[in-house]
Amino acid sequence: MIALYVVAAIAVFAAVRAILERNTGRRFPHANVLNFAVAGSLVLLLDHPITLVAAAAYFVGSTLEANAIASTYAGGVKR
Amino acid sequence: MNTTFILGLAILVIGVLSVAFVRPKTYVARLINLEIPAWGLLLVMLAYDEALALMTFVAVTAISTFVIVRLMEWRDASC
Amino acid sequence: MIFELQVVFGLIALLGALSAALIRDSYGKLIALGILVSGVLPFIVDRGYLDVAIAAALIAPISTIFVLMAVRRAEP
Repeated sequence: MIALYVVAAIAVFAAVRAILERNTGRRFPHANVLNFAVAGSLVLLLDHPITLVAAAAYFVGSTLEANAIASTYAGGVKR
Repeated sequence: MNTTFILGLAILVIGVLSVAFVRPKTYVARLINLEIPAWGLLLVMLAYDEALALMTFVAVTAISTFVIVRLMEWRDASC
Repeated sequence: MIFELQVVFGLIALLGALSAALIRDSYGKLIALGILVSGVLPFIVDRGYLDVAIAAALIAPISTIFVLMAVRRAEP
């Protein structure tokens, strides 16, 4: 149970840091930390085997979203 | 009431006000703000235990976002 | 769920909603929308709707990518 509290504390700290940051390029690492912390807390939240599938789906989806936003922010694919 | 219902109503009100009084008065900012009350309404539906309504609402929100983005590209508005 | 965890994830969701409403940059708005989604999903998992959680976690990035197509066209 103590792991859930640690992960939740990391999540709220990363959310506050990601929101209070002024430069847009510096928001991305804190948003990544928040995504990993929430994906960890989804596993520990409920004792059911399909929770692992839900956490894996959220992990894949949030990583894809963060990479898409960062790639477009950096200029996208040059053609 | 429980926490989910109150949180959903708060996010719904914040999202509706942000869509109505959007600050950079562009179509893209209004479309991004339109995603906020969708998640608030999802939390309100979650408080009433309607599983089929939840899944249908998640799918229809994504499809309507895609339709609005294609509409903005067709009209060639000043996005 | 424990009450402190409800407060923590509700605080994350409220911070995401407020910052998505107030930030003026488009990419900042999208990051704040991701924070809002990450605050909402533990409530869905806690009520036991795991299929809804899987669907929402897979559809939210697709919706963000659709919005990114319009954002890249608007401000290259």
